Amino acid sequence: MAPSALQQILLSPAELSYLHTSLSYTPPIRPDGRTSTQFRPLIAECDILPGTNGSARICFADGTEAIVGIKAEVEKSRPTFREDEDEGKKGRNEWVEISVEIPGFRDDDSMPVFLGAMLSEALLADGSFVERLWINRRFHWKIYLDILLLSQPLSYPLPLLSLTTHLALLSTRLPALKSEQDEDPLFNDDWDAAVYLFPRESDIARPPITLLVMAVGSNIIFDPSKEELAVAESVLAVSVAERPTDDESRSLKLLAVRTIDPPSRLTQPGVANEVNTATGGTAVGSVGERVLKREIKGEKGVWQPPRGGAKRVLVREMIRRVLEPGGVADEVLEGLEGVELG
Amino acid sequence: MTSLKRSLGSDPLASNISSKVYVRSTKSGKVQKIVRELYLRQDIPCSSKLCTACLKTAPRDAAGFLPPFVLSAAPAGTKKYKQGHYIIPDTNALLNALDLFETSAAFYDVIILQTVLEELRNRSLPLYNRLIGLTKSEDKRFYVFFNDFRLETYVVREKGESINDRNDRAVRRAVKWYDEHLIQAVKAAGGRKEKVPAVVMLSDDKENLRKAKKDGVEACSLKEYVGGLENAEKLLDMISVVQENREIKDAKTAELFYDEYYSVSKMGTGVKNGTLHQGIFNVSPYNYLEGSIKVPAFDKSLIVLGRENINRAVQGDVVVVEVLPKEQWKAPSTKIIEEENMNKDENADAEEGESVVTEKERRALQDEVKKVHSKTSEGRPQPTARVVGVIKRNWRQYVGHVDESSVSKSAKESRKQQTVFLIPMDKRIPKIRVRTRQAGEIVGKRVLVTIDSWDRDSRHPVGHFVRSLGDLETKGAETEALLLEYDVQYRPFPKAVLDCLPAEGHDWIVPPSTDDPGWKDRRDLRHLEICSIDPIGCQDIDDALHARPLPNGNYEVGVHIADVSHFVKPNNAMDAEASIRGTTVYLVDKRIDMLPMLLGTDLCSLKPYIERYAFSAIWEMTPDAEIVKSEFTKSVIKSREAFSYEQAQIRVDDKSQQDDLTTAIRTLLMLSKKFKQKRMDAGALSLSSPEVRVEMESETSDPIDIKTKKHLDTMSLVEEFMLLANTSVAAKIYEAFPQTAMLRRHGAPPKTNFEELANQLKTKRNLDLRMATSKELADSLDTCVDPKEPFFNTLVRIMATRCMMSAEYFCSGTQAYPEFRHYGLASEIYTHFTSPIRRYADLVAHRQLAAAIDYEPLHAAVRSKGKLEAVCKNINVRHRNAQQAGRASIEYYVGQALKGRIVEEEGFVMKVFSNGFVVFVPRFGIESLIRLRDLADVEPEGDFDPENWTLRTSGSREVKVELFGKVVVRISDVLEEGSGKRKVKLELVKTGGK
Repeated sequence: MAPSALQQILLSPAELSYLHTSLSYTPPIRPDGRTSTQFRPLIAECDILPGTNGSARICFADGTEAIVGIKAEVEKSRPTFREDEDEGKKGRNEWVEISVEIPGFRDDDSMPVFLGAMLSEALLADGSFVERLWINRRFHWKIYLDILLLSQPLSYPLPLLSLTTHLALLSTRLPALKSEQDEDPLFNDDWDAAVYLFPRESDIARPPITLLVMAVGSNIIFDPSKEELAVAESVLAVSVAERPTDDESRSLKLLAVRTIDPPSRLTQPGVANEVNTATGGTAVGSVGERVLKREIKGEKGVWQPPRGGAKRVLVREMIRRVLEPGGVADEVLEGLEGVELG
Repeated sequence: MTSLKRSLGSDPLASNISSKVYVRSTKSGKVQKIVRELYLRQDIPCSSKLCTACLKTAPRDAAGFLPPFVLSAAPAGTKKYKQGHYIIPDTNALLNALDLFETSAAFYDVIILQTVLEELRNRSLPLYNRLIGLTKSEDKRFYVFFNDFRLETYVVREKGESINDRNDRAVRRAVKWYDEHLIQAVKAAGGRKEKVPAVVMLSDDKENLRKAKKDGVEACSLKEYVGGLENAEKLLDMISVVQENREIKDAKTAELFYDEYYSVSKMGTGVKNGTLHQGIFNVSPYNYLEGSIKVPAFDKSLIVLGRENINRAVQGDVVVVEVLPKEQWKAPSTKIIEEENMNKDENADAEEGESVVTEKERRALQDEVKKVHSKTSEGRPQPTARVVGVIKRNWRQYVGHVDESSVSKSAKESRKQQTVFLIPMDKRIPKIRVRTRQAGEIVGKRVLVTIDSWDRDSRHPVGHFVRSLGDLETKGAETEALLLEYDVQYRPFPKAVLDCLPAEGHDWIVPPSTDDPGWKDRRDLRHLEICSIDPIGCQDIDDALHARPLPNGNYEVGVHIADVSHFVKPNNAMDAEASIRGTTVYLVDKRIDMLPMLLGTDLCSLKPYIERYAFSAIWEMTPDAEIVKSEFTKSVIKSREAFSYEQAQIRVDDKSQQDDLTTAIRTLLMLSKKFKQKRMDAGALSLSSPEVRVEMESETSDPIDIKTKKHLDTMSLVEEFMLLANTSVAAKIYEAFPQTAMLRRHGAPPKTNFEELANQLKTKRNLDLRMATSKELADSLDTCVDPKEPFFNTLVRIMATRCMMSAEYFCSGTQAYPEFRHYGLASEIYTHFTSPIRRYADLVAHRQLAAAIDYEPLHAAVRSKGKLEAVCKNINVRHRNAQQAGRASIEYYVGQALKGRIVEEEGFVMKVFSNGFVVFVPRFGIESLIRLRDLADVEPEGDFDPENWTLRTSGSREVKVELFGKVVVRISDVLEEGSGKRKVKLELVKTGGK
């Protein structure tokens, strides 16, 4: 389970309990008044760094902001000795290098490393992306994705980084190839002739996105804010990509699902009146008894950090809500399509 | 969220900022996106003398100096532009007709746009360099206008617009701006509108012209423009034919003669992984259908046979070849094939019905192949190859003459444009097809042409006429032809160079006061009995010598070299010019100096009776010529006498002469003999090349006689001490600057070079030629004697010399120490130090030696390895060219001296082919081919035995010609009918002695 590694949110058990309760209603009542599938508004732009092959920037309404720059280099492929790899394009995962930088974290801290791993997992999942980096049997593009979170990681930054990466990849252009077949590659020196890595007017599936989904009770909530995460019972990172289709409709496929350790587990539990001497309760003698009392009795209004994992049924439901046509992922991709390139 | 993109809206100077983006591919294979920000200015001047506004704003340099405006206030007019005009050519115009812009007849006041200049550099570097040369010359008034940096003329590339279209638009914008700007300038000055010069865009691009018309920009095609000039006919010939031809060809589907070249990337990949090879294409001087390419992957050169395989490569091009399968490997040809004779009566105008290989050529080649196939077992076939692409064309301007037979008789008088063949002087260059209107005039003249293109659908390269040098066989034309052919810079020194000379001119003297800064660290050697020994009439005296006994029984010997580095400071205009020229070129009747006359023949020259600055090397040596001590110093000397070799020899031989100077020469002579012996013992080679001297009538300088050079003791005296000085200096500068010393090396020749000669000597004379070391070679050459024939040894030496590598200058950091060896001189390290007046390498060595003895700090220019390497590369080429030009000049004069005479002389057979042989005549130093068909009226049957190098003829005439054999030949000169060229012709009189 990926660590949450979020900064602790300073909320009292009473506040946590209040949040949890309101999110447990049907329909849930979110602190900012959104519906459960509603995303916060975001602002995005592409091609902000002229020196890169592609770049993008996204600002979330909560003040988190990320920049992704993509550089491409021509690299000699390692020779393969397996005969069957001779025909056709075949990419390798090492052709993509992702580095995630988050202020306040060293680059070998678990948070950036896990974020990087999750992003590349989605990107490399079906091999179609690295295939696009194939130039000829001897050469390929090596892609460097530099992902930079500009703000403090207020909420779990995975969706932000994923969406920014998605946009940056969409805006990425590679110099046009002039040489043929297995020759040393030769490129057109006219940048205007450079081709998009993901051409818009083609049936090539666009890069994947990773979304964060959380659940409180049986309520499934998308794009959680940091306060909501603080009371989440389970959090899932779901990576999806488009599947090329013949018609206009979008068909989505699941690439990866990761559960994320919800930060709520680390919160301080509330104390029930029953065991609180200040409210006339009686102190319990032994530690074992105290724990027993606390775990068994779910007293209303007393915050209890969640324990254990999500139920299978719930996980299935969360994934279904992401993938269903007209569902959340569909909506997000639709929105990103509207971002103007260049 | 505010956008992070550079917002220009709020910036008042936003319009001054722009950027351009492009992709750069580096040599190492990296591909980078480059973004450059441009800051547009408004103070780049138009540089017209009519304009006062620009004069005010134009930027000045740090010293407040404003570069003078270039464009004339009253430019020349034409029929169409009577008020005068400025020319703005686009890239196409320059590419097609740079020769036009170089003529002195027209094309003044030209504005070269930065856009055009950059585009030209990408398209053709040689043309770019020539254009830069033009912009530097003051009288042509070419101005480079940086239109892409000026706000008003900068254009932003539009969406979907190609780079070319954008550049064309930039040119049109600049023309328009100039036009408006000049009108304003003239108005401001109160001039009348009719006085404003027109600004004309010259272009060969139809689309560009059309758009110009639409935009209301004055524009003209080259042809149309030149047509309006006075001497239009001459100038029209200089427009490249490339374009019109293409249009004609497009109309009818052209037949393709040659294979298409591979793409650049395909060649690059092939060369890298070893399936293709890259090298310089060399054509055999005896067979124009055979080329060879030396590539690192093969010991022997790869042979390229036949037109199809040569595939449009021209002598000197850097080409990529593909090795043919082993079945097609062949031995190098033993037959002489000359283009002139093969395709004599071709019609230059005929386009149809011609094939790449004429029937005659095919037959000649087939004979070849047959012969080779019958002998493949013992004959060693060499790998053959075919050209698949050209990396770099090495086309230059070629000197030649018009093939008279290709000029139609009727057209000779008329001005009709017709196509003629031009036969280049260099036999290795193919015929060039040239369209001209002046066919009648240029017949019988030496002319200069360039090759424009060689397309797949043309059998011969297509070129255009540049200018005529003069009648064939006139001295002026032939000399200029030689200089052009060997790329010798013979234009007078530009003003910038002359400005570097000392202001006193010929009145310059060594400062009388020893307190003068010129005397700093200079030793006063005026008291020494110094003299110089040189050839008769030598004016640029580089070196002088002295010797005197010391009290301890040893001798002090000094070599004093002209101190040129005192006058030529690094990195000034004179230094730059000298480094380009590299060497002084000596022709029979002319000398082309590396340095201006004032220095070469006066201020630097160690003339007698005058005090001069010198750089001295002084040794103390025992009477056995063992060096005890050596030192180097800058000095002031006063030469007592300037001897010629002959004079010095007479003086030495005359026992009655006992003065100090003569005894000093005798001492030097004695020591030099010992040095020579030592050198010989170490394995120095004494090689030979045919040397003759042409005697001229003093008044008319017409050649009257030819003499082989005589060898005098005094010559080797000077030579030995120069060698000594060179070697000592080499050791010294290498010690001081192990990475950057300017040295000279002579590589050991590869064994294969000698194989054939050794074989020939073995079979013909049973002589052994051993070449493991230079010592062995020297010794075995000594044994190559024929008691009956004293010249035989010299002949072998001449042939051995041709097998040698050529010596070369190099920078010490580029080679390992063992590679420094000078093979011929058997010296571990060597440089050139003793002739700084006529060789640039010596000048560099002087500077380095001066720094090594702490006389002056080493200038950065002679400290950088990269720069020195470039200098070495250039002077190596110049040196070789100068030698070849000198030889060609002698050859020409020998021909002239023999004009109208018929002489019978003895000669030796140097080479035997299956249909001819080469005879060398020592008396005149000439070497010429005798073909079988020259032996008798009916060509006799030849039977060639390649194992024994014997050619036996039967039929109309029966002779047996052997390699090394002595023959008597009749030497005469003939005027070739077809070419109007005078050639020395040899006829075989008989074999054996006189």
